[in-house]
Amino acid sequence: MDALLEIKNLCKRFPSREGRAPSPWVIRDLTFSVSEGEFLTIIGPSGAGKSTLLNMIAQIDVASAGEIIFQGNKVVTADPKAIKPGLERRVGYVTQDDLLLPWRTTLDNVLFALEVQGRLDDKSRAHAAMLMEAVGLKGYEKYYPHELSGGMRKRAALIRTLVYDPPVILMDEPFASVDAQTRMQLQEDLLRLWSLGRKTIVFVTHDIAEAIVLGDRTLVLSKQPTRIAGEHAIPFPRPRDVKNFFALPGFAELFERIRAEVQ
Amino acid sequence: MTTIDPTTATLVDEPQPLVSRKTIVVGGRIALAIALLLAWQWGAVEFGSIFFAYPADVVWRLVEITQSGELFQDIEATLRVSAIGFVLGCAGGVLLPFLLRRSPRWTQAIEPYVLASQGIPKYALAPWLILWFGIGDLPKLVIVTLMVFYIPFVNTFAGIRGVDQRFVNMARVMGASEVKISREVIWNSLLPFFFTSLKVSLPRAVSACIVGEFLVSSAGVGHYIEHAREVSDTVGVFAGIVVATTLVLVINAIVEHLERRALRWRPVDRDMAL
Repeated sequence: MDALLEIKNLCKRFPSREGRAPSPWVIRDLTFSVSEGEFLTIIGPSGAGKSTLLNMIAQIDVASAGEIIFQGNKVVTADPKAIKPGLERRVGYVTQDDLLLPWRTTLDNVLFALEVQGRLDDKSRAHAAMLMEAVGLKGYEKYYPHELSGGMRKRAALIRTLVYDPPVILMDEPFASVDAQTRMQLQEDLLRLWSLGRKTIVFVTHDIAEAIVLGDRTLVLSKQPTRIAGEHAIPFPRPRDVKNFFALPGFAELFERIRAEVQ
Repeated sequence: MTTIDPTTATLVDEPQPLVSRKTIVVGGRIALAIALLLAWQWGAVEFGSIFFAYPADVVWRLVEITQSGELFQDIEATLRVSAIGFVLGCAGGVLLPFLLRRSPRWTQAIEPYVLASQGIPKYALAPWLILWFGIGDLPKLVIVTLMVFYIPFVNTFAGIRGVDQRFVNMARVMGASEVKISREVIWNSLLPFFFTSLKVSLPRAVSACIVGEFLVSSAGVGHYIEHAREVSDTVGVFAGIVVATTLVLVINAIVEHLERRALRWRPVDRDMAL
């Protein structure tokens, strides 16, 4: 499999305020790659620079040094002026807060990216309707985000990104703020939708079980400065049953090994 | 143990229907209006009709000038200048911050001058403006525009600075152009600010126009009031004030209606809960 996304010697520190000592490195010399069609999970304690990493890949933040290579092209430099919005690359980015536009109805939120990319037609509308139905949002098209439950908002945010079919989807703890029950359903939904198209996904989480249940491979990051503390292939076959995953032989052992590395 | 019949049982805490709350509000408003009218009547009795016109006389005067058509001519003259001046001032006050949005250096250069120029008393410019533009509508128009401009300018700036950057980033990642981000994310985020500035600046436009009419005019509500003063027609002065107030109230009602429509997406009963 070809590397779709390569991170090479990536370093990041935020600009320090005048008269203060230079800020510490948030990310130091990080190198890894993601293959086409791979579901990579990245796990690390809070404050490990996980969101910063995804922001740099999504080009809403700049690296201090190092390279991010996407589909063979170097996409991030240390020059802020070279930052281009997602126009040409169109990564998908599902953030921890759903960031649904409060003045748009659920359907209009789902169609937002297609609309700004000028790709709204009958076919993409039908695709959006199909996705909304697949996650149980049918009938809620005209509802505003504040009228939806937390789980529904997460689903809407997820399919808002899936619908424009970006070559890679970055996910930053997208299910962190919902209850355990809803979370399992969201994981099931995600796996079901993912199995349809096998998109490349980089999924950041601080939940070890989630990283194992979802991923093909998981990277363990250490805390500041962020380095890779461990890497594990996840051998469990798909399709996976999220609810009975914990009982699988080998799960507990893998869980323990990762937990030792996270700390 | 008794069982509760679900068809007849009502919840103790069932919220009061909105209608009754509305009745209370409307009733309260009417009561206040009557109180104000009584105070006015008392003022007329106490100070005499040279300083305080009787409400009844004012009503008759309003009927008179409505029938003669004078009222509508004056309202038309005032509204024309107010509206054009308002549109110019408002367009400038909203567009300039949008143009400066992506240029922090230009913003830093220009903003202090704009804010400093706010300190110039606009009515003090009137004689100079008359010198330049003569005694037509133009000097009034300039004053109205200048009086309006700063309110949307300051509010739009505050609104743009208050926009949640995460929404902007999200739109960028999805491939939205800067124009689209301005139109969609920024504009909708600052819509509440925009309506706040409308509520302040629209009445101000009418006031500025009326003051301008005191100085130079051949028609308009301000002209009517000033003319009435010149001939010691207290009833006319009061009638003019009532007309001006009514104009502002009607304009405010229209703005509030537009605001409710434009901000329909906001949670229901939001204002009541505050």
